[in-house]
Amino acid sequence: MHRLRYLIGTLTLLAAIAGAFWMVRLLRNLDQLPGMALQVEFREARGLRAGADVRFRGVTVGTVRAVTIAKDGGKAVAHVVLQPHAAGHACVNSAFWIVTPRFAGLTDGATGLDTLVRDSYLAFHTPGERGSPLVAGSLLAGRERPPALAETEALEPVGHGDLLMSLLVPENHGLRAGSTVFFRGMPTGDVRSVELAPTGTHVEVTLRIARKHRQTVTDKSVFWVARPYVSGALFSGFTVGDVGSLLSPYVSYYSAPGVGAPVTDGYRAAARTSRPEAEPAAVPNEALRQTERAREPVADDVVTVAITYTAVERDTWSPDDPIHRQGNGLLFLDRAGRAIVVTARSLVDGAFTETDVFGGDPDVDEEQIKVQLAGGSVHRAGRVWVDPNGADLAALVLDDVPPDLICTPAAKLSFDAAGIAGAVELRASGPNGLPLAAEPQLPAAPGEKLGGAVCSGGRAVGILGARPEPVQVVPLANVPADLRPQ
Amino acid sequence: MSEQHGPALVFRKFGLAHRRPDGEDVLLADVDLELPTHGFYAFVGASGGGKSSLLRILAGLVETREPAPKMSGELLAWGEPVTEEHPESLRDQVAAILQDEGLLDELTTRENVELALRAADRSPKLAAGLLAQVGLEHAPARPAQLSGGMRKRLAVARALAQSPRLLLCDEPTAGLDAEAARTIAKLLREAHDQDAQRTTLVITHDLDAFAGIADGVLVLDRQQRTLRLERRDYQPSPAENVRRSGAVQAGEPAAVHALRRLLLRLAAIGETVMESLRRLPPFELGLVLRTVARCVCEPILFVAIAGAVIGGLSTFFALKNNPVHGGFESSLLTGTGKVATAVLVPLLTGFFFTARMVAGAAARLGTMKRTNQIAALQTMGIRPADYLLTPLVWGMVVAMPLVTLAGVVAASAAGFLAARVVSGFTTVGWATAWFASVDPRDMLVVLAKTTLSGYLIAVTCYHLGTGPKRSGAEVGEAVNRAIVVGMALVLAVHAGLTFLVYA
Repeated sequence: MHRLRYLIGTLTLLAAIAGAFWMVRLLRNLDQLPGMALQVEFREARGLRAGADVRFRGVTVGTVRAVTIAKDGGKAVAHVVLQPHAAGHACVNSAFWIVTPRFAGLTDGATGLDTLVRDSYLAFHTPGERGSPLVAGSLLAGRERPPALAETEALEPVGHGDLLMSLLVPENHGLRAGSTVFFRGMPTGDVRSVELAPTGTHVEVTLRIARKHRQTVTDKSVFWVARPYVSGALFSGFTVGDVGSLLSPYVSYYSAPGVGAPVTDGYRAAARTSRPEAEPAAVPNEALRQTERAREPVADDVVTVAITYTAVERDTWSPDDPIHRQGNGLLFLDRAGRAIVVTARSLVDGAFTETDVFGGDPDVDEEQIKVQLAGGSVHRAGRVWVDPNGADLAALVLDDVPPDLICTPAAKLSFDAAGIAGAVELRASGPNGLPLAAEPQLPAAPGEKLGGAVCSGGRAVGILGARPEPVQVVPLANVPADLRPQ
Repeated sequence: MSEQHGPALVFRKFGLAHRRPDGEDVLLADVDLELPTHGFYAFVGASGGGKSSLLRILAGLVETREPAPKMSGELLAWGEPVTEEHPESLRDQVAAILQDEGLLDELTTRENVELALRAADRSPKLAAGLLAQVGLEHAPARPAQLSGGMRKRLAVARALAQSPRLLLCDEPTAGLDAEAARTIAKLLREAHDQDAQRTTLVITHDLDAFAGIADGVLVLDRQQRTLRLERRDYQPSPAENVRRSGAVQAGEPAAVHALRRLLLRLAAIGETVMESLRRLPPFELGLVLRTVARCVCEPILFVAIAGAVIGGLSTFFALKNNPVHGGFESSLLTGTGKVATAVLVPLLTGFFFTARMVAGAAARLGTMKRTNQIAALQTMGIRPADYLLTPLVWGMVVAMPLVTLAGVVAASAAGFLAARVVSGFTTVGWATAWFASVDPRDMLVVLAKTTLSGYLIAVTCYHLGTGPKRSGAEVGEAVNRAIVVGMALVLAVHAGLTFLVYA
């Protein structure tokens, strides 16, 4: 009994000493954490404390190790360690700022409200055009306020078929990127940017009108920037209108029904200084000259795209296996105007093809699907649908579709399973996205033509799959109705 | 030697009285007597007449924390007065077999004899011979397993280990049947005859057992308040065994008596503290190391579990019941970490340690006191402080910081688990926040707090445990008091040092 007591006591003591050593080592190692150390200077630390998060796109990617005062006393310096995998996102043109609650007046609203109930944290943003990556130990100047909305890419992306036009106003009355555009009081689009014209004679406001509302804009439409107004007379009473613009200014327009012709992208219009009842202000005539006309999207045939799929299959007991596949897909617009790529599921779904050593579900991670169009541009794509019945068929949605996207017209698609009967030909794109010559018969092995469009009678009727047969025509009839064109 | 044939004990105008709150109880007055050397004397007299008191005076076992018996005249042992302070020269010349034998329960039968041999600077190898001499060569290993007769024999063997000139025995045949009593009496006589210089004085109520063995009978006459030496065939008359009533005389006033007791108590505290510092160098190194191991091993798991519960629950509830749900979690964890590691867990560890260790140690010391084990140590010439206090001080001073470390580590580990479960903290995130405001100074303060409180509770434990114990209830009372005072001291040390350092 005594021996047991001494044994337990000694083991507990040893465990305690080992635990203490572990904690001391952990604390010492905190100063030598793996990752990239940076110093960011601010005029004021704004409640930033050691241990605060560093976030990139809202994800914690590092820690503030210490907040000190610069030697000369002129700045507060945040000592930051970015996790190794996130170090590449910090570039020389990245903007660092401290997220605290901020009220930027009535027009800009409030930001960082989460830090009312959480500790302040450090955030950074890297613009789309990245500079060269930062090196460890860099000393950066932090921003005292968050970058503007447009810089953080918080605006809705410009979708396929949206109207992009310029509105010229004599003077900006609080419009900013993100302000709303109204038609008959209904939001139809937003302001993309507000810039002073190079000549300084006016302000150019770029507007995006959503695809389904673009017909409301004609060459006879009247635009104005809403400002509160008072109308009426002493005896008839007063009316106060557009009060909402006091808080957030907006653009409004009006088109008389049946008047005017639809406009194309790049259309330029002059805005009045007030509602249409008021006298329109003068805009120099030369400013109204249209600078560029966008190409009309031309589509008269089956359009295929090149697809690259990369992922990593994680194994517990063996090194991770990288997955890299090249293939094809059929591009068209669905009823909501989204750019859909129908392809073979065996091409774009690692979990569908990979098998785990022990027969369980494979652990596929870091999936990335990229689609290269014939024009050479590369876009990210998301996998939105796979055939629930196990057919080798999947649908992708493209991100950031250019307004001038060329895709297969509805007339060139056949969602009828019976259409496969008869002679077929294979349409596919090369790895560069450019279409290859049509092949009169199916190849012996799919290779990089996996997911290519199988056509019959000039219309796409299916795609080239690899399951269950090595070469398989999967009919488009399996695609659900909401992913088909109208 | 010149005193070889001189008297062993000389009483000159010797008087003895107990100090009581209601007056003085006079036991002896104007005793003039000489006890020749090499006599074997049976010492008889009515109960409560002062036989044991006299024996304790001769053995140097007068209780220092209570008013000592009032003595007058002279009492000389081989010419040395023993009335004031027990002379150092007599310490290894007098052996006493006390009523409860005072066998050390923690040692084996053989070790009890060996300890006495070592204390007398004799070879421990002689133990086997001494045990054989008293017929205990095949005795059980533990004193607790010995019968009443065997215990007496072991006590005789241990007393003989000191090879004393004066052997004092208090009721060695009490509780034994006539045959066993006679055996013990014969054993004592044999032991007495071994050494030509030995004088033996045996308190007994059983003169029959010593019939033909004792050279003379020393009679304490309660009526006459005197001592007289009778021949070996003396038989007391029944009247002599009756305690005379009304012996109490007016003594010092009650207030003076109370003040004397109070001052003695205060002096005793000072004496214990001084003794703890003076005897700090470990005299019994093996005993000290064993005590350190015991003080660490016994409470550490208990404290670690308690620390884990405190650290885990406080973190869990701090994060879970956060009024700003999910907000300021790092700050909350920093606060919890600082409070837990620097203040709360060390304090509660002190309490747990006190509850777990002080109770055991105080009960052990109290029992040793009550069963004359401490007195036995004294008669062997061992300072109880060396044997009991020094190991306890070292044990608790070393153990307290180590046990606190275990508590803090367990609390931190449980805090980490709680933070991970409730808010998904990573190891690094937790460590950054938990230890954010804990600095080396905090750890030094914790070390100081634990070391100081360890020392104080060790001294408290010893002081209260070894105080006078007339009954088992007093042992229990001492344990109770040791826990309360120990915890109060822990609290005072923590509060005081925290205030001094952080305020």
